[in-house]
Amino acid sequence: MAGEQLALTVLMGVFLVGVATLVSRMENLRAYTPLVSGDAGYGDSTATSHKPSGLIRWLTTVDHKDIGILYGIYATIAFVWGGLAVMLMRVELTTPALNVLGGTGTYNGLLTSHGITMLFLFGTPIIAAFSNYFIPLLIGADDMAFPRINGIAFWLLPPAALLIWAGFFLDPLTGGAVGAAETSWTMYTPLSAEQANPGVDLMLLGLHLSGISATMGAINFIVTIFTERSPDVNWANLDIFSWTILTQSALILFAFPLLGSALIMLLLDRNFQTAFFAVDGGSPILWQHLFWFFGHPEVYILVLPPMGLVSWILPKFSGRKLFGYKFVIYSTLAIGVLSFGVWAHHMFSSGIDPRIRASFMAVSLAIAIPSAVKTFNWIATMWNGNIRLTAPMLFCIGFVANFVIGGITGVFLAAIPVNLVLHDTYYVVGHFHWIVMGMIAFAGFGAIYYWFPIVTGKMYQKRLAKMHFWISEIGVAVTFFAMLLLGYLGMPRRYATYEFNGLIAPLAQVTTLHQVATIGAFIIMLGQLIWVWNLTQSYLEGPVVEDEDPWNLKETGQYSREFEWFGEQLDTTDEDTPTLAADGSGEPSDD
Amino acid sequence: MAREERETETSAAAKVSSWPLFVALGLAVGEVGVVMAIYPLAIGGLVLFAGSIAGILTEAGYTERPWRTLTALSGVFVALGLIVVVTQTGTSVGAIESALASTDTIVLRGFSIVGAGIVALAASIAGGSVTDAGPAA
Repeated sequence: MAGEQLALTVLMGVFLVGVATLVSRMENLRAYTPLVSGDAGYGDSTATSHKPSGLIRWLTTVDHKDIGILYGIYATIAFVWGGLAVMLMRVELTTPALNVLGGTGTYNGLLTSHGITMLFLFGTPIIAAFSNYFIPLLIGADDMAFPRINGIAFWLLPPAALLIWAGFFLDPLTGGAVGAAETSWTMYTPLSAEQANPGVDLMLLGLHLSGISATMGAINFIVTIFTERSPDVNWANLDIFSWTILTQSALILFAFPLLGSALIMLLLDRNFQTAFFAVDGGSPILWQHLFWFFGHPEVYILVLPPMGLVSWILPKFSGRKLFGYKFVIYSTLAIGVLSFGVWAHHMFSSGIDPRIRASFMAVSLAIAIPSAVKTFNWIATMWNGNIRLTAPMLFCIGFVANFVIGGITGVFLAAIPVNLVLHDTYYVVGHFHWIVMGMIAFAGFGAIYYWFPIVTGKMYQKRLAKMHFWISEIGVAVTFFAMLLLGYLGMPRRYATYEFNGLIAPLAQVTTLHQVATIGAFIIMLGQLIWVWNLTQSYLEGPVVEDEDPWNLKETGQYSREFEWFGEQLDTTDEDTPTLAADGSGEPSDD
Repeated sequence: MAREERETETSAAAKVSSWPLFVALGLAVGEVGVVMAIYPLAIGGLVLFAGSIAGILTEAGYTERPWRTLTALSGVFVALGLIVVVTQTGTSVGAIESALASTDTIVLRGFSIVGAGIVALAASIAGGSVTDAGPAA
């Protein structure tokens, strides 16, 4: 033991010396490649030419566009991890008995990892990818208000992911002494407080780091949008995506520090012998209150910016301005405020006071109003418009359609009597997957296709992109409708096996629906393989975009700031350079 | 005037910085070290964290040299570590001294935070009196 500690100390010492050496070298590097003095704003191609080359560039960048790209790559890797985890689970669920995974513990670990990965390591970062890259362009800022804090916020995420996934890596190394956390993403006490597995501590620490990262990002966006706007951008003409990011950042500012505090309390309960969530201490229900006071706003943290993306992109291909711009913003703000008053609807069956339940039901149902305002505004925008079914537009329309189903199933769940019947069944799983996959991921895909020319300077393959949409939409419908039906049949969620008594639920139908859901999941996976292939191949070999208006937005008067910036970049890019200097792919030139 | 200066500075230095990566790494390693009771990681991570904070503040122009920030952070670590120790031993000096031989992991974790503070303090003294003193005469 003492030997191990000594070896670790020496290793740590060597590491610190290495860091000191590296930093002194980088400081020198900055000294002999000074950045242009004065204006390094957009349109000035020399600003991006003086970044260090290769890996060092990516490790040291504080340029909002580079950091946006890093967020995007990171989120994609997390999406693959979370996707593979769920494919293993879906394969296991094709039969009632346990016959694919090694044990139910493996299933629980995958379940926990899938949930946390998709929400914290994919959902939040993919939104940060768009906001980092595009908010400064949309509001006419040189960069984020605090570029270094932006860098810190990103670099907290890779250690966060490694810690959250650590149990899987350490399990074989430690002979099972440290395993994957099996707490589910909600980490309910007393389960999470009493599982002795150190993998749970590592996961909590990772989650804590991701929360710090999100909070730093939120502060940065609030300050940027308030103080760094170009003089001609005011609150009345601020674009809709920036409005949703501003609202989201405010939600993060109130919600994530609370999650951080609750996680520290849980860590203290586990490691420092406190009793915040013990039955004879603060009570396990306290965890549920704290967690969901964060957890429900988190839903809107994840969904408001995608709504902003759709509000931004959908009008471009409808040939009309966004219908009811002001009311879409008001409903964004209303959702933001209401989101803090609904948390106990996750706890209707936990035995809380029925009078409290009723008030939470009322507020939860009330959220349907601003949500419907948005939906009708999107539909009204398309109404009689000149609709062009490009891939980004298809994803936007899919988003609205999926929101109708995901949203209305949510309204049912908000009603206490229905909730008590469907609570903890696959109906809930189906409902929120229509939202997170059908909306959040779809808006992300739409935005990736829409802005692909700006970020890479290339055009994606349109046929593959449309295939991606249709396969994904069919996969989503097959998988998540099956889940809603499973919920009606009473199939409980979170179980690796379902060999229950036929009196509880009709086993044959349940098995069939599980198989249908698994087939749907494979269809979704096929769609995403096409997506990754399309983006990679198009980035490497796609046709170079030479038109500053690749979507013909000028025709309808919707040519916007980010494409204006793109046009300026095209004008200043060296003709010999196949990709834009700003895309983060080219080696820095010496000019 | 002040804003103008800051803007120029931001534009000139905005594209590259070696510190954010290490601030993040220091925090992550330090947190894992303290909570999982792996003392070398706790001390190393916290030292890296404190050093990078001092470095990034200097680079951003908030401070002239990093050493005073490092001294302040070392004070914070010593105080925080002692608080953790005191929660287990009580406030008498004798009890804290005898706790040095303790095998209680909470006490040891407290001492590891104190240790990080002491290393950071040594670094700040060395930096201020040796690095900034210029070449030896």
